Amino acid sequence: MPSSTSSSDPKGLGSPQQHSPLRDVPAGPWPRIAWAGVLVFALLLGGWEAYWRSQWFRPSYRNSDGLWALTHERIASEGGRGTLIVSSSRLLFDVHLEAWSEETGQLPIQLGLEGTSPRPFFSHVARETGFAGLVVVGVTPPLFFPPPGGERMSALALTKQWSPADRWSQHLSMRLVEPFFAFYDPDTALFTVLRRQAWPARAGLPPQMPRVRKLSTTRITRQNDMWARVELDPAYQKIARDTWLAFVNAPRPEVPPEVLKKGFEALLAEVGENVRRIRARGGEVVFVRAPSSGPFLAAENGGFPREHTWEPLLQATDAVGIHFEDHADLRDVELPEWSHIRAADTDRFTRALVRHLREALAAKGTPREELGR
Amino acid sequence: MVFNSLTFGVFFALVLAFHHAPGVSWRAKKVALLLASYLFYAAWNPPFVALLWISTFIDWRVAKRIHVAESHGARRTWMLVSVGANLGILGYFKYGGFLLENWQALMSAVGVAWQAPAWDIVLPVGISFYTFQTMAYSLDVYLRRAEPTKSLLDFSLFVTFFPQLVAGPIVRPVDLVPQFAAPPAPVPGRLAWGLSLMTLGMFQKVTVADGLLAPAADAVFGAGQALHWSDAWLGTLAFSGQIFCDFAGYSTIAIGSALCLGFSIGDNFRYPYAAVGFSDFWRRWHVSLSTWLRDYLYVPLGGNRKGPGRTYVNLMLTMLLGGLWHGASWNFVVWGGLHGSYLAVERFVRERVGPTRFAQTWLAQVALAMVTYFLVNLTWVFFRAREFGTAWGMVRSMLTFGDGARVLPTADVALVIGTVFAILLAHGLMRERRLEDVAARAPWWLNALVVGAMLFSVVISQGSSNAFIYFQF
Repeated sequence: MPSSTSSSDPKGLGSPQQHSPLRDVPAGPWPRIAWAGVLVFALLLGGWEAYWRSQWFRPSYRNSDGLWALTHERIASEGGRGTLIVSSSRLLFDVHLEAWSEETGQLPIQLGLEGTSPRPFFSHVARETGFAGLVVVGVTPPLFFPPPGGERMSALALTKQWSPADRWSQHLSMRLVEPFFAFYDPDTALFTVLRRQAWPARAGLPPQMPRVRKLSTTRITRQNDMWARVELDPAYQKIARDTWLAFVNAPRPEVPPEVLKKGFEALLAEVGENVRRIRARGGEVVFVRAPSSGPFLAAENGGFPREHTWEPLLQATDAVGIHFEDHADLRDVELPEWSHIRAADTDRFTRALVRHLREALAAKGTPREELGR
Repeated sequence: MVFNSLTFGVFFALVLAFHHAPGVSWRAKKVALLLASYLFYAAWNPPFVALLWISTFIDWRVAKRIHVAESHGARRTWMLVSVGANLGILGYFKYGGFLLENWQALMSAVGVAWQAPAWDIVLPVGISFYTFQTMAYSLDVYLRRAEPTKSLLDFSLFVTFFPQLVAGPIVRPVDLVPQFAAPPAPVPGRLAWGLSLMTLGMFQKVTVADGLLAPAADAVFGAGQALHWSDAWLGTLAFSGQIFCDFAGYSTIAIGSALCLGFSIGDNFRYPYAAVGFSDFWRRWHVSLSTWLRDYLYVPLGGNRKGPGRTYVNLMLTMLLGGLWHGASWNFVVWGGLHGSYLAVERFVRERVGPTRFAQTWLAQVALAMVTYFLVNLTWVFFRAREFGTAWGMVRSMLTFGDGARVLPTADVALVIGTVFAILLAHGLMRERRLEDVAARAPWWLNALVVGAMLFSVVISQGSSNAFIYFQF
């Protein structure tokens, strides 16, 4: 801390003569420097944009927490009615919102979030909103049944506190930036690119999980379509598959059976209570197990046997469940990286899913107007 | 709103356009700046604008009362009203939970089972900065360092001026209020230089602090396990660079944006990691806070005028409270205590050894600077760690070459070492220089290249409107 004392001469605070010394501006043609700097910036950015366009990237909306929060606001603005999807990435990618809308006359509120357990979001809808329509809960076993968590839990915080400034930034980004620039994608951020280069392994560091690369493009409705490169570029498809293999083969902590049992009972109680709350206000809940294939399906069926997870879930909630393995038209889809349906198949898959839901609910004696016809 | 957001970009463009519009009176421009500043603050949480109004009203009235009061007792009473009100607001929002928590622990220690009520209070952003700034106004009048301003508009703008409202620099009334009295004289290149400073600040924040260093610091301090000494050091070094670039970046944007509007704000950082000793460090780190503490706490406590023993007590008290200013946690008190101890030891040694010829040699200066940087880094561990146990474990690992988990991949090891080395080199080279002088000597095309490249790196880093670290204080 400086140890000198400040001046003790009283100073008036209102006269221009007592200005503190002005900061100096360095000698130099600063307007010219600023304009030339802008030119340098524009040239570099133009090159960066051109590079990423050459790598299959196209302008699209960011699958951001802000877009999720704007979509979430439809719960209130549409009076808590309609269809709402809570899920991890499976139903986010696999449900074709326009096809659903054509089948039912209503555009679903898509609240799916990749790499994230839907359970906290389902609890939020049940306990903190007045939603009284049809809730479609996506069940991806490795995300649904273990303790909840995931990549995108941060979105939930925006339902409690979203500052006006962040809201304005979201709108500005969606109007001025996202529709026009291909480089504005989380996968092309400078340090994301730098960190995913083939750096030499560090001695003593445990194996690191690879970061999931870009898999989809997002529309303003939060319709997510599988990115064309995943389907058409074999090298990139291999990266996506290798990433899933790393997850599938990752060592899992040993959990004692009694802890697993207790955890599963708590899960059923939590989900059951959420279903009860939604039904109490006139809503309904259905569960959907979307397709997977290859090592993913093997790991899911091996780690979370249907008879010990899916069936008890439906039994405990007395809810309709659509499992893709039970329906030939839901199985008849292509999954380029074993976990999500290719873009061209989502329309057909969605129409079939709506049909099965409609029939199952009618058979149970609880038809829903949200599904039309 | 945060500087590194699209909202601020649009907001600042509109403010700038109106501020430089021809044919608009100076008073209208000031009113517009005041309204813009309220909007800037309300964009976080609109109801908290009321706190700005309360601070403005109290110190505006109190300073006038102090000025006209004839007796010392009356002057002192009004001064205490200002200090009580400002510290009361600060205490309620910032320290209420901390005090209750510690009171509960104390009661428990003496066998009284008492449960503190839940203290779920949102901390208004920047409250520590503007309460200190407004308090300085009343204190200046009380200490007869200044007379009250006659214009409520100018005073309101001083309290609320958006470039430095939420994270400083903490501006003194005598430095800023007079600048509002009349339109600033035109200075060629001021707007472009201000924009260049804003670009530099954005580069420090978005590219260096958030992009290069924050991931490593977050991984290490959030590891939740005993760390290998190399990772403990890398995480700490990463945080030392992150907090400098985050806070100095904010200050640079604040200075640049104020300059674009024609106002001068003093430096807040002067290449602190090239400091030789701790009194030198505090002349270079968060200068506006250290001088505030000096003028409004250390000197009124008696400073160094009441004997050696009291000087050490005043020094330690000032630094402990300075630590607590940063946040309601014992870790910040430890951080302040360490800095107070460093300053006390340095003072003790200087008084006994005095200046030696050897200490002035280049080699000794570099060695002393490295010792200073080393010891400053130890304090950052307590500043950054959420729990004392985490901090203590890290310091132990750092000092004893402890074994433990490695958490940083090669990429982050390389980025941290490269970036921290670049920061230290820059601070060393700039130690006795000013940015303005370096920019003036560089060819114009090089300045343009640097500005363009920094702006490019900011945009392609795609920062996510991360708040500045000092907002939480």
